[in-house]
Amino acid sequence: MDRGGRDGIEQELSNQDPINYSSSCISPVWPFCSTNISNAPTSSVDPAHMPAVCKENLIGSSSCSSAPVADPFGPPALWDQTTTAHTMVGYRDITLQKNLTNLNILGGANIGLDPALLRGDVGWNPPISMPREGIFLANTPGMLPPSLTQIPADSGFIERAARFSCFSGGGLGDTANPLSGADGIGVCPRGVVRMPISVQGEVFPANSVKLLPTIRDNIHIVESSKDAVVRSEYIQYNGEQTKQVVGGSGDDSSGPEFNEGGDHDENEENGLGSKKRKRNGKDAEFREPAEDLKEANETRQKLHQSPNSASGKAAGKNNKQVSQASEPPKEFIHVRARRGQATNSHSLAERVRREKISERMKFLQELVPGCSKVTGKAVMLDEIINYVQSLQRQVEFLSMKLATVNPRLDFNIEGLLTKDILHSRAGPSSILGFFSDMTLPYPPPVHPSQPGLIPAGLNGTGIPDSLRDNHHNQINPVGGGGSKGSALLPNLWEDELNHVVQMGFNGADPLSSQDTSDGTHAKVEL
Amino acid sequence: MMTDRTSLRQKFLKKWVKGLQMYSSPKKLTTVMERKRFIRLSADVALASARGGMTRWSRALFSSALKDSQDKHFDRKIPGRAKGKERKLHESITRKITSRKVLKGIREGARKKGKTPSNRLPARTIAKRLVKKRTQLLRKIVPGGESMDNVSLITETLDYIISLRAQIDVMRSLVCLSGHLDA
Repeated sequence: MDRGGRDGIEQELSNQDPINYSSSCISPVWPFCSTNISNAPTSSVDPAHMPAVCKENLIGSSSCSSAPVADPFGPPALWDQTTTAHTMVGYRDITLQKNLTNLNILGGANIGLDPALLRGDVGWNPPISMPREGIFLANTPGMLPPSLTQIPADSGFIERAARFSCFSGGGLGDTANPLSGADGIGVCPRGVVRMPISVQGEVFPANSVKLLPTIRDNIHIVESSKDAVVRSEYIQYNGEQTKQVVGGSGDDSSGPEFNEGGDHDENEENGLGSKKRKRNGKDAEFREPAEDLKEANETRQKLHQSPNSASGKAAGKNNKQVSQASEPPKEFIHVRARRGQATNSHSLAERVRREKISERMKFLQELVPGCSKVTGKAVMLDEIINYVQSLQRQVEFLSMKLATVNPRLDFNIEGLLTKDILHSRAGPSSILGFFSDMTLPYPPPVHPSQPGLIPAGLNGTGIPDSLRDNHHNQINPVGGGGSKGSALLPNLWEDELNHVVQMGFNGADPLSSQDTSDGTHAKVEL
Repeated sequence: MMTDRTSLRQKFLKKWVKGLQMYSSPKKLTTVMERKRFIRLSADVALASARGGMTRWSRALFSSALKDSQDKHFDRKIPGRAKGKERKLHESITRKITSRKVLKGIREGARKKGKTPSNRLPARTIAKRLVKKRTQLLRKIVPGGESMDNVSLITETLDYIISLRAQIDVMRSLVCLSGHLDA
């Protein structure tokens, strides 16, 4: 189901490509951008996905989606458009903005994603699943904001989310950001600390580099976070390369539009609210270049409070709206200090870290049973510890049980399965189904393998191994070729019967046992 | 969602059975404890490898299982190639741990010098201490947790929990099947 959705969305994305990048609202584009932005809320790419909580910052471009302005300008060049469409790597509930995919941070749902994959543009193929609480930024059909969708309380999803977080750092640096070259485009959002999210292009100011890891993590968290609040807040990808003080090209609107953590729909307690402020697209747009420049400078100092607060307030209101997405996805994560908070770079980083942690804790909350009502790190950690300990103890216990049950450590899955089939009245139980799926590939490797793995009963009967092997070999062609359960079953049946027969003929001389086995075999074949 | 879980389980089972098959000298596993240990180690190795090398905990688990198996002469369990790699990983992990500890010590020393000790114990401090203690504990529990920062610790824990669950599911079904066999 996810696949289909994802395909559809990718299709959509590719179609929308040219339109998407308007977000990089370069000054000349401003008028367009503004229109775009205004349109953004109205145009919802995914009406269904309209997230009430969608705070995806990035999608500034989404506003542009509807705009015919599209991007005559750089932005398309900026993003690796192709990658976005292609980089949707299995992340179920997250619709990535194309730009985001460039980020490669979330190299796919699997932690196992290799660096190569990350490096390539295939950063991320999130399986675009049905929007859960509207995490999708409905802004741009093409530009899907990296909205943090609600995480289904499914361990698989959580697993994927976890995987996401473990992106390999290598992926970041590899994708060259075509945007980075576009200096004219990038404008530092005022008062925002820019952190390059994807290491595309290295236009990033040096001081943001140190925050890179945290930001990267942040992105992951954002992506994986199921919490609407946390999600959107975090990441603001600036598709355009924004050097903090890029010659006043002022387009701040394209700059970091953060979803302000301030007013999350969901209670972001513990001050999780991202400190990133979402810059109001409109505000940004009409700022003068000079001002931007100044602000960019100030950003270096980390945040100006007053302008931020002003914009922050406005931004706060817009938090829940899609319009935030007017910000084109950029590679930076802009973190803004909230009003009244320290603007020290260290504290900002701290805050980012903390929010990341809390976001992940929320994941864990879903995973650990009985934790949904618990708030507070200490208690949650306690629960988590207990849970992990209990799981580990369970593993020990089960392995002990297996050891006692199986004195010879010969696990013949197929034999067990057939036994189960024989004994259980219910049809394919979940276990059976589970195992049969798994054992399908087994027959070839198992059978020809060492005779040591013969079922216990057979061993005891003293059947010559050669016979056994023959038997196996005979079975192999039957069962090995077919990768279907049906093909396997006769195999299992034969095994099973053999097993039973041999047990019955324990101690019989080889000849008779041989005869019996042959007879059995013959019967089966008949 | 389901597919992920099942696929993980399947992967785990596959590797596990393969590992079990590879073990061809049953002489040493006479007691139940030995067998159990072998089963557990093989399961851990299979679980870690099912996860690939992308998670830190899996690598750490690999290396610790390798060490364990070496102690017990279960050499066959892990193919020779893996051993070298795992050893290196293990070394790198221990190096990371020690370096981290050194850094932490330095940082804390500096911090203490700067701050004046206060005798108050606001709830906040207590909470912080609790959290600290518990994260410490969590680090010990999760394989490879010592060399991670808090953020990735939680992520790894998440992943670890999921994999553990899959492992338990598989083992439980195996027990069930074996139970049927006996019956």
